[in-house]
Amino acid sequence: MNLLVAQAQQIEAPQIDYGAIAPLLVVLGAACMSVLLEALLPKHQRWAVQLVLTLGTLVGATGALIFYATSERPAQGVATLAGAIAVDSPSLFLWATLLVLAFGSVLLIADRSVEPGGAFVAQAAIRPGTIQDRAQATKTGMQTEVFPLTLFALGGMMTFVASNDLLTMFVALEVLSLPLYLMCGLARRRRLLSQEAAVKYFLLGAFASAFFLYGVALLYGYAGSVKLSAIATAAAGTDRSDTLLFAGFGLLVVGLLFKAAVGPFHSWTPDVYQGAPTPVTAFMAACTKVAAFGGILRVLTVAFENTQWEWRGVLYGVAVVSMVIGAVLGLTQTDVKRMIAYSSVAHAGFLLIGSIALTPEGTAPGVSATLFYLLAYGFTTIAAFGIVSLVRNSDGEATHLSQWAGLAKRSPIVAGVFTFLLLALAGIPLTSGFIGKFVVFSAAIEAGLAPLVVIALVASAVAAFFYLRVIVLMYFSEPAPDGPTVTVPGAFTTIAITLGAVVTLVLGLWPTFVLDWAGTGTFLS
Amino acid sequence: MTKNFAAEIGDTAKLLADDPIWLVLIKVVGIFAFLVVMTLFMINWERKVVARMQHRPGPNRVGPNGWLQSLADGLKLAFKEDIRPVLADKWVFFLAPVISCIPAFLAFSVIPLAGEVNMFGQQTALQLVDLPVGVLVVLACSSIGVYGIVLSGWASGSPYPLLGALRSAAQVISYEIAMGLSIVAVIMFTGSMSTGDIVGAQASTVLGFAPGWFGLLLFPSFAIYVVSMVGETNRAPFDLPEAESELVGGFHTEYSSLKFALFFLAEYVNMVTVSALATTLFLGGYHAPWSGDFLNTGWWGLLWFIIKTLAFLFLFIWLRGTLPRLRYDQFMKLGWKVLVPTSLVWIMAVAVIRTGAIQQLSTAQRLIALGVVVGLVLLVSFLLPDKKVQDTKGVPLAGSGFPVPPLDLAVPKSAPKRKVKVANIPKDTAAVTTGKEAE
Amino acid sequence: MSLPAVDVLSQFLAQQPEPVQRVVDTVTTGEAIAFWVLGPLALAGALGMLFARNAVHSALWLVVTMLSLGVLYMIQQAPFLGFVQIIVYTGAIMMLFLFVLMMVGRDSSDSVVEVIRGQRLAAALLGIGFAVLMVGSVGRALTSVQSKGLAEANTTNGGNVGNIGTKLFTDYLFAFELTSALLITAALGAMILAFVGRDGKPARKTQKELVEERFQEGKRVGSIPGPGVFATANSVATPALLPDGSVSEESLFEVIEATDSSTLSDDLAEVAGTGHQPDSHALKGSES
Repeated sequence: MNLLVAQAQQIEAPQIDYGAIAPLLVVLGAACMSVLLEALLPKHQRWAVQLVLTLGTLVGATGALIFYATSERPAQGVATLAGAIAVDSPSLFLWATLLVLAFGSVLLIADRSVEPGGAFVAQAAIRPGTIQDRAQATKTGMQTEVFPLTLFALGGMMTFVASNDLLTMFVALEVLSLPLYLMCGLARRRRLLSQEAAVKYFLLGAFASAFFLYGVALLYGYAGSVKLSAIATAAAGTDRSDTLLFAGFGLLVVGLLFKAAVGPFHSWTPDVYQGAPTPVTAFMAACTKVAAFGGILRVLTVAFENTQWEWRGVLYGVAVVSMVIGAVLGLTQTDVKRMIAYSSVAHAGFLLIGSIALTPEGTAPGVSATLFYLLAYGFTTIAAFGIVSLVRNSDGEATHLSQWAGLAKRSPIVAGVFTFLLLALAGIPLTSGFIGKFVVFSAAIEAGLAPLVVIALVASAVAAFFYLRVIVLMYFSEPAPDGPTVTVPGAFTTIAITLGAVVTLVLGLWPTFVLDWAGTGTFLS
Repeated sequence: MTKNFAAEIGDTAKLLADDPIWLVLIKVVGIFAFLVVMTLFMINWERKVVARMQHRPGPNRVGPNGWLQSLADGLKLAFKEDIRPVLADKWVFFLAPVISCIPAFLAFSVIPLAGEVNMFGQQTALQLVDLPVGVLVVLACSSIGVYGIVLSGWASGSPYPLLGALRSAAQVISYEIAMGLSIVAVIMFTGSMSTGDIVGAQASTVLGFAPGWFGLLLFPSFAIYVVSMVGETNRAPFDLPEAESELVGGFHTEYSSLKFALFFLAEYVNMVTVSALATTLFLGGYHAPWSGDFLNTGWWGLLWFIIKTLAFLFLFIWLRGTLPRLRYDQFMKLGWKVLVPTSLVWIMAVAVIRTGAIQQLSTAQRLIALGVVVGLVLLVSFLLPDKKVQDTKGVPLAGSGFPVPPLDLAVPKSAPKRKVKVANIPKDTAAVTTGKEAE
Repeated sequence: MSLPAVDVLSQFLAQQPEPVQRVVDTVTTGEAIAFWVLGPLALAGALGMLFARNAVHSALWLVVTMLSLGVLYMIQQAPFLGFVQIIVYTGAIMMLFLFVLMMVGRDSSDSVVEVIRGQRLAAALLGIGFAVLMVGSVGRALTSVQSKGLAEANTTNGGNVGNIGTKLFTDYLFAFELTSALLITAALGAMILAFVGRDGKPARKTQKELVEERFQEGKRVGSIPGPGVFATANSVATPALLPDGSVSEESLFEVIEATDSSTLSDDLAEVAGTGHQPDSHALKGSES
């Protein structure tokens, strides 16, 4: 029986710190389970079971995270799975942010009170405009595959912010993107617009992934490794050609900036935000931004910290372009969702300021500021999109600004909350937006980026104008006679909006706790 | 006799590395000749065997007992007029048969025909090359070969070939997965993808007497490979790309003359190649069914190899003579819902067994593992839905529950007839003629 | 026989090719020749893909590029990668592309109307600019990179394939496992976008059920006779005749039989040749 045992070449399996990556494993495992449920359960049971599973997963993953964060762990963090995943303080903060934001998004996704059957189409495979499509418009079912897709996307995002080498980062980028492409195309109303958004996002996203991958290849050529720390070590030496390093860096950053919807790489944002189902837009706007900037922060501070003087000017320019585009083009928008999309481009510019705020001494004051900003911005955005989904007419959501005229007279509460959220986006004091901008700008000044801060302040002022325009429109215009109605939301949407608004307020009043937490540690290098 | 084959691994490659170029050329020509002769032989053999199965003589005119019939047919084909349809895509139409032919020959270069032999004073192995990824060469060649079929169908500019090509594309992709998976278990046992090493690993015996062929040790893999090799070569009962009852001739409907002959050649060479690969992977290649004899050395290996390959080729013929063609959806169902999942489960099982064997588990641990497996199987079998109970209402049917006419041959009394109004056709115009021309 | 040509030939034939697994890490002549053949071929394939008018030709050019790359990998001591490139890219992915292209049809061409003015020119200029930049900078940078052969990796620890496996299950374990999430998502996405559920409708009847149903209804099981085809007419209205010469009622087409014969008189007349005759000046067929 020598055939059975011959030729066994043992390899050393990598060490895995299961406690550290438990939240990640819970989310990915639940996503697989969710797919199985999709296959095995009868259609009428799926929504309830999937919802319970998804929310349970988020709670469970958060529990595992809290357990790990409060237990004895190395202060500088651990790198596990052969160094592919780094679980350090920023990772834990970003994971917590992602999980909580995803909780809010899932509540919006699961809501079936605002639109009977939810915001998602019953059968996406039926072609829009056909007889079958008209027949299914009255059905209350939905494509419950949205839940596993959300979990996969979330798993990808969590991996993305914690990945310690560029290859894992690339796979994570794809894992987070692919479900989002799909989810964009599943809207119940205006299906062609939704599918167009999905195709646009997919094509441009694939293009950006190619840039990212090309960058990884060049950096591998430069450093002989895809590990972030190895790239940093290689860049510290002087005997190599910098051309590969900077070409690779440029391409890599283009891919990252695309995902974060920064500056000149934002062209997909308005169309996709507008076309996608609003809950998915909320998920994308909040969580993708967190994940993308988490990745950018890690790449910049771990791998390219040594070479910051070479690339800082470029990202400086990108941040300026992003803020200007977001602020100026936001002024001209007539659609609420597009307006928030351009506002997110402007915010991406602010976030980029925080990301490049590295001091010559090697400290990164911008990291904790950016982390805080991400958390604050995510909650505000989710609540804002939650409100957008409430204002409806017979065609679905009424997103044109003219339809929002005089909304305060129809529904003072909704208008009031939306006003508060817009003020937070504009960065008015007593909201989390103000604190976020404040900490980012002070970090930038500390890192010697004062001119950039001046530009950012001007851009904020311009952007504030279009937020205020909506507020004026809601309060001081006569409502249109055939204007939209404000749906009374069910429990899920109410919880999501309340959560977002309350966090926005609390972080505006008592930000210390979160600021402290965001500043507890640095990236593992 | 338990020979430590581990020492042999890589030996073939080392042996082949010393070949001078003239020997390589001789081998190339030899393989080419072997395949062409095998094709001529196979066509004739197939016709004769199928004829015998159908109680008719088969070809018996040309040459001794008709054995030169396929040679005559080949010569005739070459001199026929070459027709290109007007709508055909000129270059692709020309390239397609070439593309289907070249990989078919190429794949044979990694097949070991015999072990160490003495050729013209040179010690060498009867094999053209022994790559560390030999098995992949065959898979790669088959995946390129299908381009010939697909392109021929597309380039013909006619619907039947196009349908044949579409079927072929789907078919080959589906069955290549099953084929690749069936090979995985063999590779796991050998620890190498080189065909020479795989044959070497099967030299020993199991339990003292049975040959250590992977076809016996890994029977499920073997079965899956055999099914998928028939699917991969588009042979009956899986010959859907050229189903003559549905698609005229399938992908080669519009081809004639030498190009058609090339398709024919490619099909038969592919059959020989997959049979040879089956021999190599699962039936011990050039080894005799027993070990340690002088019949197991040198040129004798070629004999065993050819006998085993011919056995597979006979299986091809046998299948064609007995089985009806599958419907397309049944065929796809077989591939995706039976072969691929079975392969995956089997690979898992093999991995577990091998890990258990390597780690020297105690008996208790093995029993626990076995218990877990049995428990899982039971669980799955409970979860599977029951088969639908047959509806026993309805009219009683004679025989075994399958509707057949009554055996007593009594004509049913109240066979409802169609009530059809018959129009009054005038007698004189009953025979409708074009009167004038009849005059 | 000592012709110099024969000597050279015999020397050439007697020389031994290089071992399959080279232990040297230098670029051999054979490798250089193969590179200069395959490199232009790959480039030509890429350009052909861009400029081919026909989508299938475009796909075929891409196949040329992929095959060239696969062979380049092989000669650069990465046989596993080379063959996997051929199996996966040319064998599976491009085949699926071709499948889709053929389903769409050979005649459907892309709309070539430019939606954005000057977009092609701008794209071409930017593309060429990018290519020049990359080729220039990377080409220059690579001269300072020290090449490192795979001889060691290909001969130790189970060789080429074994080492790739080891890497996958140690250093890149997580990336490798995470890919499964990608594949599940892709499969799920395909299901969502392409599968229309039956939504409560009863399952389609199987062949067996259909047969049983037909028998149980007591209808005629076989097919009904077709119309008679006579030397004189091949109309569906022509009845089939039974062996005794009588008309088989089952062969009559209900709709035609139910139609009053007077409404068909014109057609009958025309078939019989007794109806309206063409003008005698009109061009006639052969009168022979």
